[in-house]
Amino acid sequence: MTATALKTELLTLGYRDRIVIQDLTLELPDGKVTSILGPNGCGKSTLLKAMARLIQPLSGHVSLAGEEILKIETRALARRLAILPQASKAPEGITVADLVKRGRTPWRGLLAPWSEADAEACERALREVGLADLAERAVDELSGGQRQRAWIALVLAQDTPYLLLDEPTTWLDLTHQLEVLSLLRERNRAHGTTVVTVLHDLNLAARFSDHLVLLGRDGLVETGAPEKVLTEANLEKAFGLKALVIPDPVTGTPMVVPR
Amino acid sequence: MRGGLVLIGLLLASVLLSLMIGQVMLSPVQLWTGLMTGTGPASLTLRVLRGPGIATAAGVGAVLGVSGTIFQILLRNPLAAPDIMGFMSGAGLAVICGIAFGLSLPLPLLAAVGGLLAAVAVAMLSYRRDAAQAGLTLILVGLGIGFFTSAASSFLLTRLSPQDASDAQRWLSGSLAARNWGHVTQVFGLAAILFVITALQVRALALLELGDDLATGLGTRIRRARYGLIATGVLLAAAGVAVAGPVPFVALMAGPLGMKITGARQPGGRLFSAAVTGAIVTVLADLAARSVVPGLQLPVGVMTGILGAPYLLWLLAREMEAGDL
Repeated sequence: MTATALKTELLTLGYRDRIVIQDLTLELPDGKVTSILGPNGCGKSTLLKAMARLIQPLSGHVSLAGEEILKIETRALARRLAILPQASKAPEGITVADLVKRGRTPWRGLLAPWSEADAEACERALREVGLADLAERAVDELSGGQRQRAWIALVLAQDTPYLLLDEPTTWLDLTHQLEVLSLLRERNRAHGTTVVTVLHDLNLAARFSDHLVLLGRDGLVETGAPEKVLTEANLEKAFGLKALVIPDPVTGTPMVVPR
Repeated sequence: MRGGLVLIGLLLASVLLSLMIGQVMLSPVQLWTGLMTGTGPASLTLRVLRGPGIATAAGVGAVLGVSGTIFQILLRNPLAAPDIMGFMSGAGLAVICGIAFGLSLPLPLLAAVGGLLAAVAVAMLSYRRDAAQAGLTLILVGLGIGFFTSAASSFLLTRLSPQDASDAQRWLSGSLAARNWGHVTQVFGLAAILFVITALQVRALALLELGDDLATGLGTRIRRARYGLIATGVLLAAAGVAVAGPVPFVALMAGPLGMKITGARQPGGRLFSAAVTGAIVTVLADLAARSVVPGLQLPVGVMTGILGAPYLLWLLAREMEAGDL
């Protein structure tokens, strides 16, 4: 049993009169790649945002390595946990390098000059996402895949042991989806970074994750290793989907084939 | 920064041109002699006739330019500026109230209170829980507040004596006539303080520009940061209004124009470009206001209006085409 990174206890989330998640208790393993799956509107993104203190729970709480997340000073938390929300819009004309540099803000003192460590973290982040050669290009001139990787570089430069990403592969073609997920897994394997993503594609999630959380319309369906979570019964329960689950011919991880 | 020196050069050229042109034309040599010896016609022009007005124009342009750019970055909308959103008319109304009701408070204080009240009114009236149309709502409500406060100012003018009313009317359209070194000290003193306060918030502004969620994720207390920036922006606008009245369109135009010249894309560079460009625009508008009709000094606000209104129309057309409105 590995240590717990993020933990929710009787977490209830919602907006005004609509409850999205009710009394969810969940533990995400430390140093692993976890993906949150489920149908549209089940509260995947809401859950991820609550884990990153972007929304206040109606009740219950989230803890990071045993500490309640809302009690951690926001800047201190920004050095430990990074979140990339969905569909961010870059300021007009900003270069990739300048965008990524903003990821260093939590590490910089108010009047501290740009340091060696800051420069290294940015260079490394750009290398990891394969944009080192395009650093001086404007973000709005890039292709969709490159742009998404620029945003990922920003949170990589933030250099945190916990990394949360909301649908990092949306709008990308399959090649770019594979690229993005591979680079996140590499970051995990190389630095032990705990990665938590919200994903839509079940098969990609099974391939790249150590741990899955499957949500249905009525809350948690199953959580654990991909083989345990992606079963025909669980898919029926979460999505109302009749599917065949076979081993992926390439990786051996579960592969979902709708009937 | 690319173009930063160009901009400074343009400002110096505008100031020089503005000192040279007027009822009495002066050459650079005469100005230099006047500056060095403190005698001759050029000396009087420098010390009394044109110098203080031009220096005030530069200071007013700089504070308005920075103010507009803070709002434009914060709301990610080129239409967001204190003149469009009614903060400057609010500041103007407070000053007129002060005159009408005989309050003997310093003008910058009155202007600041008026500007802040207008900002609070705009924020409260445009508050929606679902923030999808937040930017546009804010600007439209701001326009409404602007019309209302301008109308209220006009109404209050009727309570004043004819002489006061005529002075106040002139001031309301933005005027740099008969400025003295006291005005210069006031606007540059406030500018110095407020620019330092702005500089301390540039990083927060750069993060808020990325959206609330990312800004929070990067360790910003977004509510506090946003209030701080809005207050700074309103106070900058009020500092300008206090010495020159609600000069329209400088705050709106300076930022985008400055960006074009310097190519600055980061908040720090954009604010610097806006300050210098605002100064250039106001100095040149003041020059035009003094020299377009010989023997008559028009309010500087008339000139910035003539320049600014077509820009606003062009901006509106472009925004509508882009589907952002």
